[in-house]
Amino acid sequence: MGWRPVKNNSGFDSKILVPFGLAGGGALGTMVAGWSAWGWYTVLWSALLLAAAAWCARGAGAAALGGGEQAMIDDYLAARERFGDAVLPIWCRHIENSRNQMEEAVADLAGRFSNIVDKLDDAVHVSSHDSGKGGGNAMTEIFSRSETQLGSVVTSMKSAMSSKHAMLAQIKDLERFTRELRDMAEGVASIAAQTNLLALNAAIEAARAGPAGRGFAVVAQEVRNLSSRSAETGRNISNRVGLISSAILAASQAAEQSSEQEDKSMQSAEGMIVSVLGDFRTMTDALVQSSEKLKQDSIGIQGEVGEALVQLQFQDRVSQVMAHVRENMELLPALLRDNRDRYNADRVLEALDPQPLLHELQKTYAMAEEHAVHGGDSHAAPVAAAADEITFF
Amino acid sequence: MAKTIMVVDDSASLRQVVGIALKGAGYEVIEGRDGVDALSKCTGQKIHLVVCDVNMPNMDGITFVKQFKQLPLYKFTPVIMLTTESQESKKEEGKAAGAKAWVVKPFKPEVLLGAVAKLVMP
Repeated sequence: MGWRPVKNNSGFDSKILVPFGLAGGGALGTMVAGWSAWGWYTVLWSALLLAAAAWCARGAGAAALGGGEQAMIDDYLAARERFGDAVLPIWCRHIENSRNQMEEAVADLAGRFSNIVDKLDDAVHVSSHDSGKGGGNAMTEIFSRSETQLGSVVTSMKSAMSSKHAMLAQIKDLERFTRELRDMAEGVASIAAQTNLLALNAAIEAARAGPAGRGFAVVAQEVRNLSSRSAETGRNISNRVGLISSAILAASQAAEQSSEQEDKSMQSAEGMIVSVLGDFRTMTDALVQSSEKLKQDSIGIQGEVGEALVQLQFQDRVSQVMAHVRENMELLPALLRDNRDRYNADRVLEALDPQPLLHELQKTYAMAEEHAVHGGDSHAAPVAAAADEITFF
Repeated sequence: MAKTIMVVDDSASLRQVVGIALKGAGYEVIEGRDGVDALSKCTGQKIHLVVCDVNMPNMDGITFVKQFKQLPLYKFTPVIMLTTESQESKKEEGKAAGAKAWVVKPFKPEVLLGAVAKLVMP
């Protein structure tokens, strides 16, 4: 462009300083020359005065720029202001939109973390309760209770088998009684045969006695009849005892077979119960182990979650830094407008001074690394909270 | 019965993060988006402790603590400032407002929980 800023940042206007300096020097020289001889000094002071006048004339010329140059400066300042008005809000909106998106995404992420932690806690709690570690002890309690109950069943079955064995022994004992009854029936038959023989002898003797033995012959006949009936009764008893003995033997054999089968069933059932309890024990132990592992894993995951919670907070720091920069950027259009207004008022083109803007930015800083970055550090990373980052009042 | 802690922060993610840490330790959490929102929720329910950010829109943390402490029901409720600010001058402001502790973000959950356990009302 065809002009240069003529006001420096210190606020002294060089357009004013230079001619005043030259004119002041010339005046001083004239005064000194007035007390000294004419000569080269007078020429020198005259030249200085001329130069001062020329500079003033140049300044006056700058203040009265041509219409074209003035319009060009006005256009430039207006365009610069429009540039700021157009670009900076969009930049700011992008920053704010990104900040909001990041905020929402991290909030969602944190929410999911929260759900994971809750579900993990629930799983550990349920697993711990089911597997029976600590106070819950449900699984182990169920196993112990089942073991006790099934043990009672086995004991009852063994007791029933023992009773059955006793009953079988008593049935077998009945055979002895039937043998005795058979012997007794045989005794009756033997007595009947001997009685019959006696009665026969009595009849013979009665016949030999003649009419005197007639009554005795009747008695002998009756005794023979009785012996015959006794023999019949003895045979009947023997037959009945034989039937009873056969029935008892059959019952005893059936009971014995049944008992043997029940013994085998009992042994099989006991074996199965022991096997089932063994499987149950294996399963319970596996569940307890997996629960314990889950608990240990949970402790590890909770540690990781703790670290993740620290890392998630860096989004908040980034968001704050972005907000500070955005707020500062939003000041720039006003700064451009103010610069233009001052030019319109003073017709003095001033350089844009970054310091007020940077000062405003600095005032918004909350974190040490913001100050560090501002001071020129390109990689100022914050440290995670340490124990001494807490202050009690 | 679980104790109630109010978390005041304009960042939803930070409220979530603090909530995870506190709920994991068995506390109930109520949230405030800023000082105004938080004060509107101080309506008589028992609050055993407040964890509060400093830089927030509408009403900043220091102003909130001052007004919160004016409420008779919450006069003795302890407040922990949880902020990225670590300047001593800010800490002094917090102390003057009535805060009991100052924790700098990013915080480790155990650090915050240690401060909460130490200060929470019985």
